[in-house]
Amino acid sequence: MPEGMPQNSGFMVAAYITAAVILVTYAFLLYRRTLKP
Amino acid sequence: MDSLLRHAWRLARKDLLVEFRSRTAILSAVVFTVLVLVVFNFGRDPTAVAAVDLAPSILWVTFTFAAMLALNRAFQLELENQALDGLLLAPVHRASIYLGKLLANLAFVAAVECVGLPLFALFFNVRVLPVLVPLAGVIALATVGFVAVGTLFSAMTARTRFAELLLPVLLLPFMIPPLIWAVLATGALLAGRPLSEIGGWLKLLAAFDLAFIVVAFLLFPATVNE
Amino acid sequence: MTLLKTGRWITAVALALLAAVYVRALAFTPIERAQGAAQKIFYIHVPSAWCAMLAMGLVGIAGILYLLLKDPRFDRFGEASAEVGTAFSCVMLTTGPLWGKPIWGTWWTWDARLTLTLFLFLLFLGYLLLRGAVTDRGLRARYSAVLGICGLVLLPFIHLSVYFFRTLHPQPIVLKPSAPSLPGSMLVTLLFSFGVFTLLYVGFVTQRYALAVLRESAESGGAHA
Repeated sequence: MPEGMPQNSGFMVAAYITAAVILVTYAFLLYRRTLKP
Repeated sequence: MDSLLRHAWRLARKDLLVEFRSRTAILSAVVFTVLVLVVFNFGRDPTAVAAVDLAPSILWVTFTFAAMLALNRAFQLELENQALDGLLLAPVHRASIYLGKLLANLAFVAAVECVGLPLFALFFNVRVLPVLVPLAGVIALATVGFVAVGTLFSAMTARTRFAELLLPVLLLPFMIPPLIWAVLATGALLAGRPLSEIGGWLKLLAAFDLAFIVVAFLLFPATVNE
Repeated sequence: MTLLKTGRWITAVALALLAAVYVRALAFTPIERAQGAAQKIFYIHVPSAWCAMLAMGLVGIAGILYLLLKDPRFDRFGEASAEVGTAFSCVMLTTGPLWGKPIWGTWWTWDARLTLTLFLFLLFLGYLLLRGAVTDRGLRARYSAVLGICGLVLLPFIHLSVYFFRTLHPQPIVLKPSAPSLPGSMLVTLLFSFGVFTLLYVGFVTQRYALAVLRESAESGGAHA
């Protein structure tokens, strides 16, 4: 990585994982709720 | 149009008469106001925090609480003895009911504000008189804003479970903008900034009031019609 | 194919494409030199913000249409859009500060994006709580419509007040996290992400709408309230 660039990939990873968890969880919950109303 | 106003005024009078006969809500609002003022006064270190810095926030906390008290009670009156049905059967325009409630709520909050503002000026040694007129304007505009929305919402929450909890939650996003503009404008006025600086906030407050009063008039019938 | 099945398929495709967005954003899009890797959060945050706003807008419009036409389908749609909007708002509320901390140095700031995030979330929450508190279907639909419309009217004021606030309080750091002109590769990633998120919104809302239909038929088919 070029010098001078901030080392903040930790935040990126955290954000991407969090977003994925939220969306996939919601998708899963929707699936479950529509199986047996 | 004329009967609209007349009926509204009648309804407002009725609510205010009931309220001032029992005087419970207004007393608790005033007591709370005094309490907040005293606590904040003793809580701050006068050498570290100037009164003028805290003042706007404290003022608006007390006014907001008063508004919430008024709004919580707004439609409770009608729940007893199914008075709301009686009101709806009467040959009054739905808009009159909303307007009447709005006026009554505004009168209530205005009463608390008239007590609160002088007390606040006294306890905090804040020079309110030089800016009284614009300050009164800011207070009036912001109060109309959240009472207009609050009256509409209280019509809906009155008949739900957890009404007293639901109303503040629903109202929160609608109270924050006028409250912020009011606090900023109050702060600017008390700090002696020129009137031109608060022009923007006054315009926002006025626009907010206009927009939501119109919307509330249009939507109120939907909250009470069968 | 039933509405539910359609919804499920769309969601499945959208999730698969989301994985593709992830791969593209993380591995095949250049890192922005001044801001570092964290800038890439932008490819997730901004499209989810768009979806949340779309959801809110449609809730409001559905409210207007319901009050005018009294068609319960609009109410069901509002219910669905509000719930899906809440999910996207959660994504906004988490990715926003995670983006803000490395870029602006602070977890929270009252700028346009984050403030709107918070308000949208509060509005959605209020809408869902109101629905939960009212049992009568007709009343619930009318109340939801009223709240949805008020929420819609509120949005321009939020935007205006943030604009005013910003002219008084400059942002903590000079960096502009979403410059209007992006180099080609980044723009493609962003647009791709927009498309996928929108598709995901459609899939979610379709399923949620189908769920509402299922619940209603179960309600009326079962015990008479």
